[in-house]
Amino acid sequence: MNMNHPYDDFPHLLFSNNTATATSTSSCVEQHDGISLDMDWDWDCDFHDLIESMMNDKGTTTESPPLLPCYHGQEESLHPRAGESKGLRLVHLLVAAADASTGADKTRELTRVLLAKLKDMTSPNDRTNMERLAAHFTNGLSKLHREANVQRQCGPHQHPDVYDQVDVMLAFQMLQNMSPYINFGYLTATQAILEAVKHERRIHIVDNDIKDGVQWPSLMQALVSGNTGLSAQHLRITALSRATNGKKSVAAVQEAGRRLTAFAESIGQPFSYHHCRMDSDTFNPSSLKLVRGEAVVINCMLHLPRLSHQPPNSIISFLSEAKTLNPKLVTLVHDEVGLFSAIFDSLEANPARGFVERVIFGPWVSGWLTRIAVTADDAEVDSVASWPMWLATNGFKPVEISFANRFGQNGLVLGWKSRRLVSASFWASCESSE
Amino acid sequence: MFHAKKPSSMNGSYENRAMCVQGDSGLVLTTDPKPRLRWTVELHERFVDAVAQLGGPDKATPKTIMRVMGVKGLTLYHLKSHLQKFRLGKQPHKEYGDHSTKEGSRASAMDIQRNVASSSGMMSRNMNEMQMEVQRRLHEQLEVQRHLQLRIEAQGKYMQSILERACQTLAGENMAAASGGGFKGNLGSSSLSAAMGPHPLSFPPFQDLNIYGNTTDQVLDHHNFHNQNIENHYTANNAADTNIYLGKKRPNPSFGNDIRKELLMWSNQDHEPIDDEHRIQIQMATHVSTDLDSLSEIYDKKPGLSGDEGNDCGKLLERSSPRRSPLSPMMNPNAGLVQGRNSPFE
Repeated sequence: MNMNHPYDDFPHLLFSNNTATATSTSSCVEQHDGISLDMDWDWDCDFHDLIESMMNDKGTTTESPPLLPCYHGQEESLHPRAGESKGLRLVHLLVAAADASTGADKTRELTRVLLAKLKDMTSPNDRTNMERLAAHFTNGLSKLHREANVQRQCGPHQHPDVYDQVDVMLAFQMLQNMSPYINFGYLTATQAILEAVKHERRIHIVDNDIKDGVQWPSLMQALVSGNTGLSAQHLRITALSRATNGKKSVAAVQEAGRRLTAFAESIGQPFSYHHCRMDSDTFNPSSLKLVRGEAVVINCMLHLPRLSHQPPNSIISFLSEAKTLNPKLVTLVHDEVGLFSAIFDSLEANPARGFVERVIFGPWVSGWLTRIAVTADDAEVDSVASWPMWLATNGFKPVEISFANRFGQNGLVLGWKSRRLVSASFWASCESSE
Repeated sequence: MFHAKKPSSMNGSYENRAMCVQGDSGLVLTTDPKPRLRWTVELHERFVDAVAQLGGPDKATPKTIMRVMGVKGLTLYHLKSHLQKFRLGKQPHKEYGDHSTKEGSRASAMDIQRNVASSSGMMSRNMNEMQMEVQRRLHEQLEVQRHLQLRIEAQGKYMQSILERACQTLAGENMAAASGGGFKGNLGSSSLSAAMGPHPLSFPPFQDLNIYGNTTDQVLDHHNFHNQNIENHYTANNAADTNIYLGKKRPNPSFGNDIRKELLMWSNQDHEPIDDEHRIQIQMATHVSTDLDSLSEIYDKKPGLSGDEGNDCGKLLERSSPRRSPLSPMMNPNAGLVQGRNSPFE
């Protein structure tokens, strides 16, 4: 690419080979070799204006009719493409900015210009879902860009706008009220675990990322109510913390333990809690305390907004090593591709939404962008395209659950209008005795 | 002296009767101390005929039946009890079991009903069974919902307790700090509970939430399809611990493409039409009222606000790909973007 005048190649950036290296996805858009070909609006005209406005550093774009202040359906019908063309334009710009910021054709200058343009066009308070989501993405890319200019760091991500713990907790709970996305993972896993350990006296759960421990009260309650007064099942949870996430994560894991212990006591569930500190990203099963006759369950919730950095290598190590424990069940909950836009759409408008978007989605998007960018740039870091696939080809076999839609299924997927949001699947080690 | 009393079984089947006497009128009476009328096939058929003529068992009365049947010796008492039994439909007389061939010769619907019901008993039994099955399933579902509700409540209690604790800690630390967000700082436990719940549920209309199946095969196909450029190394050998992952390093990492996929991802199942039978509607809630009957109210779509949201992220894709192959019926065919947010009730 010509470094002297980046704009020469701008069309190339936007319209061409985004699909060449990319996988041909099932999205129809991809099949048609880029979004552009299906659009029947005047590319040249708009595009030209776009470039013009960027080069002249004008504040507003003039190629689209002004969006009327009262955004009713009626008005929208007069300008049927107004909202969506802006949305598409935003996506194009984001894609261009992302590509400009990483990979072999990295150009700082172009990235900066694109990001500035995007910032102009977006705000977290915009009207449409796409615009707001684009604002979050712009933010995330900007952070990356800033950090890249300073120094590439793979460590825990510091957000300039760090929200305090209460805000985060509150937003998290609001999100749980607004969408079944989070609880779907928890409760489906709980049910699968109950099924797997039905006849076990002792249950040992190894939790990859316990967070506040919110997943477990429902399991405890189910165990208590399932006990017919004979001998109660004993529950043990070992929670992992990783050194890369710092002292705060250690404290959080310990706090979760205290809470869960208190809760278990309040409902009369025999319970004990252990904290396993990982010094590096490699998991060592021998650091776990095991008890004879207990059924081991590996719990891997990958769908939550991970505000702390957890590289794929760490998870891979965890799963691989945990297999040697001969677990009765491995629970895997992970996001589906295209989650962000789908979940944005699936959330109903309500007054709390802006708060949740700021506190949770912003950092979530940033974290995701960081992970992806690091993977894209750093040849050392591996990426896993699909966790179920990884499990299936690394010594795990699917475990059938009774509450699935079809006979023989090992999981469920939560979707929104045919877009997949989050998937819960269940596995066991191939070598386990059945 | 023993007075041998002949045991007379008053409530046995008619087959136990030692002797029957046929009277002139054609009635068969038993010979035990209390003569009881034996409802033979023929008599019963006449009865059924009469009832049919009179407009059915509900309209016919013993008196009118008696008159219509014109059988001597038949008392109101006999008819009353027989009619009652007939109405209840609980008397598949054994005699009738052998006379299913009579079906064809009788035109009356009552007759057919009686014969069919009594001859095999299967249809009524099947319907009963089905009814019981349905009831059983409903009951089961209610049980499941109740269990789920208990679990969710447990989770809610736990969350509330940690939130309260965190708030108190924060309030203790930052007594004077002015906070940026609107939700912290002044939160006392009262406003906390006001903020937290029980929230009116604002889930998306639940018809739009779906649960799909997810077998490994499906996963493999699905991912195979849309990751075609990624080499898939399957190692059946589990011991081979070389780091061969799917999605291994792409030669030209495409960060932008990931973003595009995230923002515009269409259904990944374009080529796997989603059968309706494999979808179940999700009915999960974090705050569920104790009255299960009101569950249905919770899922009503909230009008108003959502309609003003304007474009969905996903709709952009609808608009831009008019040549999309016809998809599963779940996709809203509403190509016009005028209304804004899709409503399942439109």
